[in-house]
Amino acid sequence: MASGLLRPAGHLDIANALRPYHGVWNERQSAHLLRRAGFGSSPKVIHDATAISMDHAVSILLGMPPADAAGRPDIFDARAAMIAARMQYGKRGSNDPVALKAAIQSLRRQEFRSLMGMQLWWLNRMLASPAPLQERMTMLFHGHFTTAALQKGVSPDMVFNQNQLFRSHALGNLRDLTLAVSQDPAMLIYLDNARSEKRHPNENYARELMELFTLGIGNYSEEDVRQSARAFTGWSVDYRTGQFVNRPNAHDPGTKTFLGQTGNFDGSDIIRIIYEQPACAKQWATTLLNNFVYNNPEPQLVDAVASELRRHNFELAPVMSTLLRSNVFHSERAYRALVKSPVEFVVGSYAALGLSQIDARAVGALRQMGQVLYYPPNVAGWPPGSNWVTSEMLISRENFLAGLVNSPMMRQSSWISQIPMRADGATKMLVEALLGGDASAASYAQLSQYLDGVGTAALGTLSPENYEMRVRGGAYLTMAMPAYQLA
Amino acid sequence: MKRGNFLLGAVSGLAVVASTDHLFARALAQAPLPGLPGGENRVLVLINLQGGNDGLNCVVPYGDEAYYQVRPNLAIPRGQVLDLDAHVGFNPQMGSLKGMYDRGMVAVVQGVGYPKPDHSHFRSTEIWQTAAPDTYEHTGWLGRYLDDANLPKGLFNGVSLSDVLPEVLVAERSDVPAIAQLAGYGLSSDRNSVTRSALTRLVHDGRMPFSSPYLAHVAEVEGDAQRGSQELPALVHGYKTDAAYPATPLGRSLALAAQMIGSANVGTRVIYIPHGSFDTHVSQKGTQDRLLGQFSDAMKAFYDDLAAHGNDKRVLTMTFSEFGRRIAQNASAGTDHGEASPLFLVGGGVKGGIYGTYPDLNINANMGNLKYTTDFRQVYATVLERWLGRPSETILRGRYAHLTALA
Repeated sequence: MASGLLRPAGHLDIANALRPYHGVWNERQSAHLLRRAGFGSSPKVIHDATAISMDHAVSILLGMPPADAAGRPDIFDARAAMIAARMQYGKRGSNDPVALKAAIQSLRRQEFRSLMGMQLWWLNRMLASPAPLQERMTMLFHGHFTTAALQKGVSPDMVFNQNQLFRSHALGNLRDLTLAVSQDPAMLIYLDNARSEKRHPNENYARELMELFTLGIGNYSEEDVRQSARAFTGWSVDYRTGQFVNRPNAHDPGTKTFLGQTGNFDGSDIIRIIYEQPACAKQWATTLLNNFVYNNPEPQLVDAVASELRRHNFELAPVMSTLLRSNVFHSERAYRALVKSPVEFVVGSYAALGLSQIDARAVGALRQMGQVLYYPPNVAGWPPGSNWVTSEMLISRENFLAGLVNSPMMRQSSWISQIPMRADGATKMLVEALLGGDASAASYAQLSQYLDGVGTAALGTLSPENYEMRVRGGAYLTMAMPAYQLA
Repeated sequence: MKRGNFLLGAVSGLAVVASTDHLFARALAQAPLPGLPGGENRVLVLINLQGGNDGLNCVVPYGDEAYYQVRPNLAIPRGQVLDLDAHVGFNPQMGSLKGMYDRGMVAVVQGVGYPKPDHSHFRSTEIWQTAAPDTYEHTGWLGRYLDDANLPKGLFNGVSLSDVLPEVLVAERSDVPAIAQLAGYGLSSDRNSVTRSALTRLVHDGRMPFSSPYLAHVAEVEGDAQRGSQELPALVHGYKTDAAYPATPLGRSLALAAQMIGSANVGTRVIYIPHGSFDTHVSQKGTQDRLLGQFSDAMKAFYDDLAAHGNDKRVLTMTFSEFGRRIAQNASAGTDHGEASPLFLVGGGVKGGIYGTYPDLNINANMGNLKYTTDFRQVYATVLERWLGRPSETILRGRYAHLTALA
């Protein structure tokens, strides 16, 4: 089986790759933009985006509302509940260890339920946000600066605050974001820096910061890990408030030598020095290209984007503006060149079907598909590309679709009920709305035959009696085609 | 260099040799291996103790005073260790595995690792799974085995009982399904024969009005998924589980593994199962003890079940972990990423006992880490050649001395 990150065939025109695209602007191209800069869209949104220019559509997508514009989900205050339980049943209260244990178990369950509610809240925000790119970047950062909820005491409010941090930096400065992440309570706890102190520096955060978040393996030494771990000592969490705290007593004030520079460094210095390394811009360029353009990009393309990042002092807004308007982004080589992640697949399916709300089935489906929001599998985040294409994964995806198209929710679809009652017209509408027309003539014919009931004993041609069932089956089959897995 | 009588610990690992010694080695390795139980239907179960299992509190060097000095709070008291000999013993939670050890079913390989160890989970896991410490490979060592083995064509020759296919089973020419659990495995739309046949045709229609590097791959896996999921439940339906498995994810996975192994016409040769996470930077004891206990109890149930169906002799289980942990504990009653750690070979073909050399506990000798004494590729070579009956040189990109832990 083909494996790893696959680059599309064909030749890269590096001279024009990042220049603005002036080619055809039709529904196929605008749907491509909306799948990448968002999570996919309904036929109406694709139609509207096509009616304005590419340039205009991109500038609307680049607009970033404040992070708190959409309010916040209900978040269980686990810390307050823990303090209350300790007061009531602890040594200063009734001193009842059994009751205390039961209270803690109960609050753990509430925490877990709270997280599920937060997942659904975010999925709905991905679907309905007026700034889908903001959610797309938030998701990218969530998988990049991984932190798993409910591990080691990472509480729901810390998880949400981190999520808002990503949202507020969606098209902000990457260096600022890295510094903010390094002082983010959820991260400090998840990668153990909260407990790192000068006598025993914990290297977990320093290592992952360089390996996964900024530089990549081979661009620093084990000694750099040890030295930077010393610099980060003292950055911790006040467990009573859940806020960042700098503990000078735990900080190692000695001289450190890091990536060739020597000084009495703290965490901010380490991040500054990391962003001076050429490898840092290349690593971010690769990440952006892998997420928005195609996998395993050519070194020349990586260099071109890296130089844009450096030129703009790691500000994402101008770089994403260039990228989303570029020839390489709109090229035939980039088209359907990525595999949808489960979140893209699930949210995109609600969107494509013209549904305005995501229901709880999505949370369970994502668990089946191996991508639970706030629970990345390990510090490297979710796997990219073809790693999502396994038998189990595709089965989970098709079963989710079957459940969705057969649910009562489908009555709320903005367009399914307008499908003509003729097999050829219905096929055309389904394939264009759900697949951007990306089906062969043979597949059109096959779907049309299905809608006409070829092979069924009763109720032949599409009719008022079999309409709803047959159209739902047709929508399922269209989305179950391999092309639908590709973004 | 003779196969079979090589002393572990005396080998420097990268034993790439160009000499006439190996003129017939490949032919020899390809010949059927005599005297092994289980005939041609041997199975390898690979359990990933993911996150970095702390070897010192798993196979405890309780005979070494240095152990108690470097781990003032985290060391397991002598009286609690389940002793294997006068020097080492199991973690107290591993009573079930100790019973199997006493019956000669368990080989403990000490101090397994590789040169220039990487301390990142991601990279070190990749190194163990691709068997390539110095290069970036796109296939796993068991994926390459499946590509190389000329097994009868089947959808389940290799199976991962996990959500996501691990790198170790990524192959060039073999599709390996990842099956998290049997319940619900399959396409619900296949219950309707009209949808089923329509989908079968749509999936296999690859002539699309666009090209994508992933399209053919998606179509092939989707086709296999549809066919495989229709076949698997029927294939394993008749199997009756005959052991009390612990109600843990590992217990459930091993129960399914035994079911697949014990059902005719499934044809599974390699099964991967993850267990963890052993990434115990903070408050290690509770987490590691619980996970080791789960592993030990699930292994006992697995081999009880296999034995009840006469399959125990044809199933070898091997564990691995991306690294062990630091010799000394850290300030958070945990341990940080380290280097060498022990692994277990259990069941079919195993000559029970302790193999390899326990690494030096001198905290100043190797930057606070345990230096490996057995290269993991020696273990892989042994399993490939002596258990799966395949030459290991092309799969492992080199020749490695064998362990004597497999008959």
